Amino acid sequence: MKNQWIHIFSGTVKVKLTGKGIERFLNQLTKNGVSIWNVRKHGSEAVTFYVNLQDVKKLRIPARDSNCKIRFLERAGGPFFLSKLWTNSGFFIGACLFLGLIMLLSNMVWGIEIRGANPATEHHIRKELDKMGISVGKMQFSIDNVESVQRELTDKIGALTWIGVELKGTTYHFQVVEKSEPKKAEVIGPRHLIAKRKAAIVKIFVEKGEPVVKVNDYVLPGQLLVSGLYGNEDDMKTVAASGEILGETWYSTKVELPLKSTFQVFNGSEKRKYSLKIAGRTLPVWGFGDPDFKEYETEVNDHPIKFFKWELPLMVEKKTLREREEVTRIYSREEAVESAKELARKDIKNHLPENAIIKGEKILHQSIENDKVKLTTHFTIIEDIAVGQPISQGD
Amino acid sequence: MAKKWGQYVRKWMTQKMDLPQDVMMDLPRITMIGQVHIYIENHRGLLAFSDGEVRLMIKHGQLLVKGKAFVIKTILPEEILLEGKIDQVIYIND
Repeated sequence: MKNQWIHIFSGTVKVKLTGKGIERFLNQLTKNGVSIWNVRKHGSEAVTFYVNLQDVKKLRIPARDSNCKIRFLERAGGPFFLSKLWTNSGFFIGACLFLGLIMLLSNMVWGIEIRGANPATEHHIRKELDKMGISVGKMQFSIDNVESVQRELTDKIGALTWIGVELKGTTYHFQVVEKSEPKKAEVIGPRHLIAKRKAAIVKIFVEKGEPVVKVNDYVLPGQLLVSGLYGNEDDMKTVAASGEILGETWYSTKVELPLKSTFQVFNGSEKRKYSLKIAGRTLPVWGFGDPDFKEYETEVNDHPIKFFKWELPLMVEKKTLREREEVTRIYSREEAVESAKELARKDIKNHLPENAIIKGEKILHQSIENDKVKLTTHFTIIEDIAVGQPISQGD
Repeated sequence: MAKKWGQYVRKWMTQKMDLPQDVMMDLPRITMIGQVHIYIENHRGLLAFSDGEVRLMIKHGQLLVKGKAFVIKTILPEEILLEGKIDQVIYIND
């Protein structure tokens, strides 16, 4: 006896046989090697049974010789299932398209929310985002990851102190902190103003308190500039001294600059590779082979594919291989000194508050040794030298 | 005369050599599972088939199976598997 479920694949046909001599017909079939099963009698002159699809042809000759009539009732199994599938393929294609569409829409940007910015900054941010390719309806694959968006925005928009970028589902959330936020008025207790470093006083502007020094006075760090105490000796009053004491201060910086320096730059040629990551395995899709250049750096960007809010174990991986080049910069002596000066200026500005002015600079010492320029520069700076010193109430 | 003698030899061989009788003597081998299934080997063709009765040709005479709701599960030249509710199995000798 054969296993009957095998027939499912090759296809089966239900046959109805009517007429006289049914038994003889069935005997004939079995002798011819046609396997039939589930023979059932219906009334006195009708019988139904199943045969294999490939055995259907073998029914013809015995049927011609007998007095029976054959009708085929049902068709099932392999080929019939396939043809049914074909006629119903519309549904299947529709379902696939639907899933595809949902997936596509789940990976789009559907909203950009900016919070904490005033209208002008918000407009600015939106314009900048448009330039970066972040707008409603864009695919998330084409957008850099959140960190680089954040970096780029902070670099490009000066009015921002900090911007938090977050991708929640299909919406980008930007949390903005602006530089020009109104400061809270500090409550200052009674205090003196004292010098923070040695200086020659250039200008005195006192809002509150009693100035103790005069223009052109030379002060040492910690020296009292503006007193918070006023009134006669019997009736002293304390006040929070405030004001601006501009003093001329002196700094010297040492700068060393090699004449010859090598550093690495990207020369702009790059190769992109795209691949699909399925549960940790990588399937390359576009961009095969090694790049034409030897020295390169690889940047990998993973974009998870989302379905509604869930992340599928699918990822689009974008690899960018950038060619790296070594560049040697050689300065002539004059150039080297000039850029050393520039470096010194930058260096001093880093140490100073923003409103300080460089009044003058003087090169104290300049030498070129071992292919290095050594420069000692003396700067004269005008800056606010006043800092507060609280008056303790016990005095 | 020759046929009868041949049969005699076979009978003697099965008895003396302990061979299965259905193989040696072309007898039907009938396996029944309760009243539900009946499996008949070594039949010689279907004579009549209806809901309540199946008549099979065997070597010497016919085999009549009576019951209810018969369905032939499989039929091969020498085997038949019948399903239904079997009441009687009758040998009809010519």
